[in-house]
Amino acid sequence: MEGEITHHPIERWISRILRFGVWSSATLMVAGLAAAWFSTSSLPLPEENPSPTRVFRDLFNGSLDPVVLMFAGLLMLMLTPFLRVLTAAAGFAAEKDRKFTIISLVIFAMLAGELLYSLR
Amino acid sequence: MTVESFLLLVAGGGIAGTIGALLGLGGGVFLVPFLSLVFDLPMHQAVATSILAVIATSSAGAAMNVERRVVNLRLGMVLEISTVIGAILGGITANMLSGQTLSRVFASLLIIVAFLMIWRIRHLRLGHTPPEDGLFPATFKDESTGETIAYASKRVPLVSLIALVAGNISGLLGVGGGIFKVPAMNILAGVPIKAATATSNFMIGVTAAASAFIYFSHGHINPFIACPAVLGVLAGSFLGVNINRRIKGGALTWIFAIVLLAISVRMFTR
Repeated sequence: MEGEITHHPIERWISRILRFGVWSSATLMVAGLAAAWFSTSSLPLPEENPSPTRVFRDLFNGSLDPVVLMFAGLLMLMLTPFLRVLTAAAGFAAEKDRKFTIISLVIFAMLAGELLYSLR
Repeated sequence: MTVESFLLLVAGGGIAGTIGALLGLGGGVFLVPFLSLVFDLPMHQAVATSILAVIATSSAGAAMNVERRVVNLRLGMVLEISTVIGAILGGITANMLSGQTLSRVFASLLIIVAFLMIWRIRHLRLGHTPPEDGLFPATFKDESTGETIAYASKRVPLVSLIALVAGNISGLLGVGGGIFKVPAMNILAGVPIKAATATSNFMIGVTAAASAFIYFSHGHINPFIACPAVLGVLAGSFLGVNINRRIKGGALTWIFAIVLLAISVRMFTR
């Protein structure tokens, strides 16, 4: 049909990764808060925020520690924009838009650089 | 943490998210003072929590707007280059400042935001740049009128400069920066207001994420504060978007501008 807007996959991909990020982080946060609610022991905060590697390692090892779950949710939330930018790069590459693939990768590199610098 | 504190955090986040959605702002301008004045949270923790809330509302809103193709992806990605640089610098700067200094800078921002909120009611541009007259042409369907609008963006370097400043403020003070980006895109670039708002909302999540790990590495994120506040802001944003369709914003904007001025005075004098 003339004038019909073509639905490119990039919008669908970005939308899905954003929804995944929000829902997974919210689920982990709610799980952590619920676990804290039902916990019978005290829940001291660590003296410093744990590294993302440690949090996700504990999570994948089946930890149900409320603090781990909550930090995992918060970290998932913080990483969602990173995933969104990477997805945009993939989408622009699929559309063979070289300029915006490079722009997306530059943004991802800046974000990744900030993350690595912060956690050094 | 007591039950009362938990509920108060969720409620406070919910109110901040609702007001932010009603006024086209992120919740940060209300959440940071709430955490600082009501919970007496150190300013850096309040800013860090607000940054997480901004990521949440941006991601949730953008998920819908991107799919509806209201967001100008290419314009947003280009502006993100400068806004991310600004946010990283803002996050680094914030952790060099004392809590009191940060509080006073935030109070000053509230005054600027209050005046900008009133100013943009009167100066928002109804027209837009024709697609052949600018960069990053795009189209979207305005659901309120059923009209398909084609437009492009002018003065992108100038808007990028404003995005850099907005990103810096975001990293420094935990707000989204949309109060600067939306007028810049609408008035300077000629982007229709709905596309400008959606594109700004799309960008502020990345802007906030650019400084989030800086605050994380300094230990400013308390999950017992951040989780209920973020969940409250998310819920409030969904509510605010639905209420927004039914009410006129003019009177609300004046009320909240006055509220922001009052909060600013309180933050200056504490």
